[in-house]
Amino acid sequence: MQLDFIHKPSGHCENGVVSNLLRYYGVEMSEAMVFGLGSGLFFAHMPFIRLHGMAVTSFRPLPGDIFSRVLSLLNIKIKRYKFRDRERAMRTLDSLLERGIPVGMLVGVYHLPYFPKEYRFHFNAHNICVTGKEGDVYTVSDPVVVDKCTLTYDELKLVRFASGTYPPKGRMYHIADVRSKCDVTAETVRRAIVKNCNRMLKIPVPMFGVKGIRFLAWRMRKWEGRMGAKRAALNLAQIVRMNEEIGTGGAGFRFIYAAFLQEASVIMNEPRLRELSAEMTIAGDMWRDFSYNAARLIKKRDAEPITYDQLADKLVAISQKEEAIFRDLAKGFGPCKQM
Amino acid sequence: MKVNEVPQDGKILESSGVRDVCYATDENGDYKQIISVGWDAKNVALDFTWESIYEECEEIKKEVLSGEKSPLAYHLHRLIMTPEILSDYSGFSKRDIRRWCKAKHFVKLQKEQLEQLACALRISVEQLTSLD
Repeated sequence: MQLDFIHKPSGHCENGVVSNLLRYYGVEMSEAMVFGLGSGLFFAHMPFIRLHGMAVTSFRPLPGDIFSRVLSLLNIKIKRYKFRDRERAMRTLDSLLERGIPVGMLVGVYHLPYFPKEYRFHFNAHNICVTGKEGDVYTVSDPVVVDKCTLTYDELKLVRFASGTYPPKGRMYHIADVRSKCDVTAETVRRAIVKNCNRMLKIPVPMFGVKGIRFLAWRMRKWEGRMGAKRAALNLAQIVRMNEEIGTGGAGFRFIYAAFLQEASVIMNEPRLRELSAEMTIAGDMWRDFSYNAARLIKKRDAEPITYDQLADKLVAISQKEEAIFRDLAKGFGPCKQM
Repeated sequence: MKVNEVPQDGKILESSGVRDVCYATDENGDYKQIISVGWDAKNVALDFTWESIYEECEEIKKEVLSGEKSPLAYHLHRLIMTPEILSDYSGFSKRDIRRWCKAKHFVKLQKEQLEQLACALRISVEQLTSLD
């Protein structure tokens, strides 16, 4: 059985799944809009969570957050699951598919067969959407793949219960009821923007938001002395990968958010947002410049190599830039309520 | 990023169906979606990570040949597994897996245990007991 599901690739996996799911229920919304309404722009550098033995740097909120936020703003009812029993997780999925409901879910990429081998790390925050089942084979709409792909029962079970940092534990979600849906208005967009400002500016812990970028810069200056050239370069490579990798891209997210601000400026009839979108594009370009220079440091092919201090300076500049943008947004669009 | 600046440095993604969707501005400053096949900076970071994993593997290989560590230790590292993760997939305890990374404990493993480990690592028993 196959659902009549239109698959469109996207820049970030969760946006893609949410926007494809919404389209199935007749709500046409661009990826950028989903990302913006979900307040998806974020930064976190968390030394207490390790991935491959190194601190986790994330450019996104927890998986599932974008989905919940967008749909609560649209007043659409959703259902989220988490399982302990693997067979039950698959049975529930099957029964939902039989009722004609496409199901988004969280998977680990380590065992995903259609991913290139080089990308298969123990990264457990990838989103896919299951849209049909023929016998033992599931049809999967993965937003980072151009076409729909397939996974067997055993493969899907394995990736849904991947192990490692932040195990997905069979997490899945679907849209339950769209009858009470409301349209995207200027007020919805404003609330989403304010929420994103709060997330970037007001979390009172130095590891998150614009403070988090400075925190990473501060730690980066000490890497080489603390753990030697090799380990420092590995840490840097991990950050570049997190920054640029498909589905998690940090720089890419800045561009998606800039695209959202453009759309928002039309909805809210607010030309100022378009200017801020251009500013955000500059922030994204600064992130790309950071990645480019980090790659040069990793390769060590230059006569006059860039140092970790210089890279950290770049990060500080980025944090100042983003802080200015979000302070502007917060000032222009309502009182910054404490979260 | 401008539309014409979107990198197309295919190296890793080309052979698969996976693509990068990038957002870039056109001449009017409007955002457009462009599909990219990768970027050198990212490829460098990925290559470096894998190279260093393989380098460490070669060192472990030497220790295996000198009879100190077991092939399990080599395969764990090659497949970027850790005792914690393998313990989840195989059902053995972390302590047991760490013990079996030493050659003197590895040789005592039963056939069924080897099969279970190989299955969790998705390799064959012959591979698990050798350095392939």
